[in-house]
Amino acid sequence: MKRRDFLSKLGMGVAVTAVVPSMSLAADAPAPKGPNALSYKAAVEAVTGGKPVETSSKVHMKVPEIAENGAVVPVTVTVDNPMTESDYVKAIHIFATKNGNTRCIDVYLTPANGKAMFSTRIKLGQTQEVAALVELSNGKFLTAAQSVKVTIGGCG
Amino acid sequence: MGKRKSLIKIKPKKYKDGEIVKVSFMVMHPMETGMRKDKKTKKLIPALYINNVKFEYNGKVITTMKVWESLSVNPVFTTYMKVNGKGKLKVTFTDSSGEVNEKTKKIKPKG
Repeated sequence: MKRRDFLSKLGMGVAVTAVVPSMSLAADAPAPKGPNALSYKAAVEAVTGGKPVETSSKVHMKVPEIAENGAVVPVTVTVDNPMTESDYVKAIHIFATKNGNTRCIDVYLTPANGKAMFSTRIKLGQTQEVAALVELSNGKFLTAAQSVKVTIGGCG
Repeated sequence: MGKRKSLIKIKPKKYKDGEIVKVSFMVMHPMETGMRKDKKTKKLIPALYINNVKFEYNGKVITTMKVWESLSVNPVFTTYMKVNGKGKLKVTFTDSSGEVNEKTKKIKPKG
């Protein structure tokens, strides 16, 4: 009996020590935030300055629905808008809505571009929406968003 | 002036004057977010990412970009450009450490 008691206690002890450190680690790790952390709402407001933003079918986003690797997610934004001197796309902003710093890139175009399109690759920390905010030369703001499922996060 | 490897690609390879071509600009850059830990020393790796990218065609700025750390390692920037005579396409990019790099490509329209 004694030996059996001892063994069972030993087993319990091992189990406890095995469980406790992993639990404490999980509790101690808050969402990591970088030096440039900014929420999606604040980032959009900083760009628009409080002006209304219209969800538009003119803005086309090409993002994979499921990204196996969050470190490399290709994003392409195309805008159905002419690029003439009087009417052109001024800027394209790309946001990852749940990253620490939601801002990815701000692209300022000119009529010399000929076509309003921009493509790059971004990092995504978790499953989230990727949003594009487009500023036209007449001061209007258009937006579009698409959700991306991320299997392995690519931040940190 | 730094020595980052970079590359400018133009598609299609043969183009005429006045044509709209696709311009891709690639850089070899680690794009550290400042949140990643070194696996051996368990210390945070300091942030190092590209800040600004500027496309200039014959001295005229055609596209500027403000970049944050959430772009992938070795980022690619693709956009379109209207060919307007012979000249040079110059891309200047700045690091968060202040390092400035440059890359130029000759633009030679045919026909």
